[in-house]
Amino acid sequence: MNWKNLALALSVGATALALSPIGGHAQTRGGDVVIAITQAPPTLDAQISAMQATRNITLHLFETLYARDENAKPVPDLAQGVAISPDGKTYTFALRKGVKFHNGKEMTSADVVASLERYRKVGASASLLDAIDTIQAKGSYEVVVKLKVVQSTFLDNLSSPRAPIAIYPAEEAAKGANQISYIGTGPFKFVEYKPDSHVKLERFKDYTPNPNYTKRDGFAGRKDVFIDTVTFRFMPEAGARVAALQSGEVQLVETVDGPTKKRLETNTAYKIYPALPFSFQILKFNHALAPTDDVNFRRAVTAALDMEEIMAISYPDIYQVDGGWVYPKSAFYVDAGLKSFNKPDLKVARELLAKSKYKGEKLIFLVDNLRPNIDTATVIQQRLAQIGVKIDLQVTDWPTAVKIGWSPAGWNLFAHGFGIEPFEGPGTVMAAWANGLSQQKDDPEIDRLYTALNAEMDASKRKALFAEFQKRMYDEAVAVKIGNYGLFQVATAKLKNFEPYRIPRMWGVTLDK
Amino acid sequence: MLKYLLRRMAATIPVLLLVSLMSFAVIWLVPGDPAAAFLDSSASPEQVARLRHELGVDQPLPVQMVEWYGRILSGNLGESILLRRSVGAALLERLPVTLSLAGLALILAVVFGIAAGILAAIRRGTLADQSIMTLALLGLSVPDFWLGLVLIVVFAVGLGWLPSGGFVPITQSVTGWLATMAMPALTLALVQMGFIARMTRSAMLDVLHQDFMRTADAKGLSYRFVIMRHGLPNAMMPILTVIGIIAGSLLGGAVVVEQVFSLPGVGRLIIGAIMSRDFPVIQGGLLFLGLIYLVINLAVDLLYAAVDPRIRL
Repeated sequence: MNWKNLALALSVGATALALSPIGGHAQTRGGDVVIAITQAPPTLDAQISAMQATRNITLHLFETLYARDENAKPVPDLAQGVAISPDGKTYTFALRKGVKFHNGKEMTSADVVASLERYRKVGASASLLDAIDTIQAKGSYEVVVKLKVVQSTFLDNLSSPRAPIAIYPAEEAAKGANQISYIGTGPFKFVEYKPDSHVKLERFKDYTPNPNYTKRDGFAGRKDVFIDTVTFRFMPEAGARVAALQSGEVQLVETVDGPTKKRLETNTAYKIYPALPFSFQILKFNHALAPTDDVNFRRAVTAALDMEEIMAISYPDIYQVDGGWVYPKSAFYVDAGLKSFNKPDLKVARELLAKSKYKGEKLIFLVDNLRPNIDTATVIQQRLAQIGVKIDLQVTDWPTAVKIGWSPAGWNLFAHGFGIEPFEGPGTVMAAWANGLSQQKDDPEIDRLYTALNAEMDASKRKALFAEFQKRMYDEAVAVKIGNYGLFQVATAKLKNFEPYRIPRMWGVTLDK
Repeated sequence: MLKYLLRRMAATIPVLLLVSLMSFAVIWLVPGDPAAAFLDSSASPEQVARLRHELGVDQPLPVQMVEWYGRILSGNLGESILLRRSVGAALLERLPVTLSLAGLALILAVVFGIAAGILAAIRRGTLADQSIMTLALLGLSVPDFWLGLVLIVVFAVGLGWLPSGGFVPITQSVTGWLATMAMPALTLALVQMGFIARMTRSAMLDVLHQDFMRTADAKGLSYRFVIMRHGLPNAMMPILTVIGIIAGSLLGGAVVVEQVFSLPGVGRLIIGAIMSRDFPVIQGGLLFLGLIYLVINLAVDLLYAAVDPRIRL
């Protein structure tokens, strides 16, 4: 977008704002919302954690230059816009003027430069910024980022919510990992953090909603805050979370199981919000070990599986049987390779197995102790037993599973969720399989496609490259996409205008008295 | 008495060394590392290696062991990887919650357990005895996490009398503290109450038929005086032993109860540290709990000596 178009967009936005219901309509103001979340965040330093529990909270406090809209497309947030040089290597970001940090200081280019530089050093997903050569301030409101190579996914990376590239005041950005004061530009301001208990935020009174938008839109858009405070209470016990909702101590529960949802949905005091799809369920193969290094073996496993059966047992109340390697609403959703998705046929599976290296040995199926993942592994184990594959199920907690599953030894199959990557889009999904990252052995074709996607600025050609990638995933049975699952969020009916998203957003919502 | 005290204290040193060694061995015994708490499954091996280096968990074990003993001998439990603060400070910050919980539960268990045990003993074979023993058995058999949830459903959801979880420091509000502590302490106490009641009944029954009890009774002393002044002190030895064991196990039970009632105590800190492989917190927490256990045992030994002069010999 050039500056002229940007100016036009701004004036249209401003007009729309003046006419919008939010601009002129009185909303219920005030109220304290308490959200029961399952885990405590390991830190509130947004840049250094890729955990859901962290971003649930930090994306209320901090903002990024670009952020994802409702359909995960990168759109400006703290930036007004960007001008990209014809060679695709120089990005000049114009910053929004008058954006205040919670300490009252205005955000300028120095803060942005310091924050991006910090992320390159300590960011949990620092590789997102690997393509950057230099970052320079140009005046107070412009930042020039020069890339070493063309990277079509650069704005996708910059707007990644996984471990957000949050903008901190320069003096905070000068501090090491987990040593910052929690000062951001977000619509909520930090109040207190009681470890293992709660985090409390309050409405940032000097927050100026982005005038370029008229409504809430993903992590970007217009962030009007009507409630006074939001408290994230860490409640590990599922029964206690629901009890707290029923006793009126919390207003929103991050996730409840199917039976609880069924029990509460008939009560008008509560509202159920299904968030589907929220994550993929996938089965990984270790290509560095026999027999999962053999394409015939992987195809045999794929042919044996009934995805409907696995999803219906693992996520009985909220699932989709879908083979796409991005979510169905994504602009990159393609049907390449899908003709071979979910075609369970034990006869074909046995034939493929006979052609493979498999000699009847016991294979290690690694899975963490999350109930649906164990269910997935158990169903697959039973199914594979029918074609003569012996599975040794090894259930560990997540840190142990990760430690083993990120190495080339000690496992053959590994089932788990894959949630934020498909939301982020094709670049991140492909990155998980590029350089043999997830399958532990390089796949030159995937590497080629990933490099090509990164260098291709044309959206339709990128989509074609992604289609090739998806076809490769099916042709070579690189891994198995089983389906999409979701989660149920439950709120008191007094909480209005809530929309489930990747995090429980508290801007735009109101709380009836 | 001083000699006895010194002897008992000296005996705790090898135990403490063993506990510290076992606390350190956690690194060998538990697979996984803290990188998983920060990164997700798509992190590259380079990212994991970089983070492990930053977190200091890539050092050889002998180096880590030397550091560990160097630290604890100077009274420093190290720094939490996740919290980025001293383990000692993190433990002390949460200690009031756990001590409140365990202390209140211990008081409830001891007071009601001993009273119920005495009542059952002096009414042996009656309906009261049968009822108390049945309730004690029930208390012993009910899992604390289930009991906690039932109490939440009844008192927080049904009656709305108490909050379902959370913690209010006593310095902030006494009533708030009591309200947040009532259900967790009761949950923790009920199991132990049954244990103490059964032990008290049995110990009292042994004492009730002793000659000195008959003599005291024959002297015309009131029944209450005979029981409380002559019976109970003589039945206290096994009860004290049980209380010592219970005081330690209350700290263990507090881990589960803190999870159910979302209490920010030491147990929750250690559970969180285990889930995220925050080794300094796990090690420091275990050592700290081990130390508390030893102190409790030492206190019980000293109480024995106070109650029974023969011990001091």
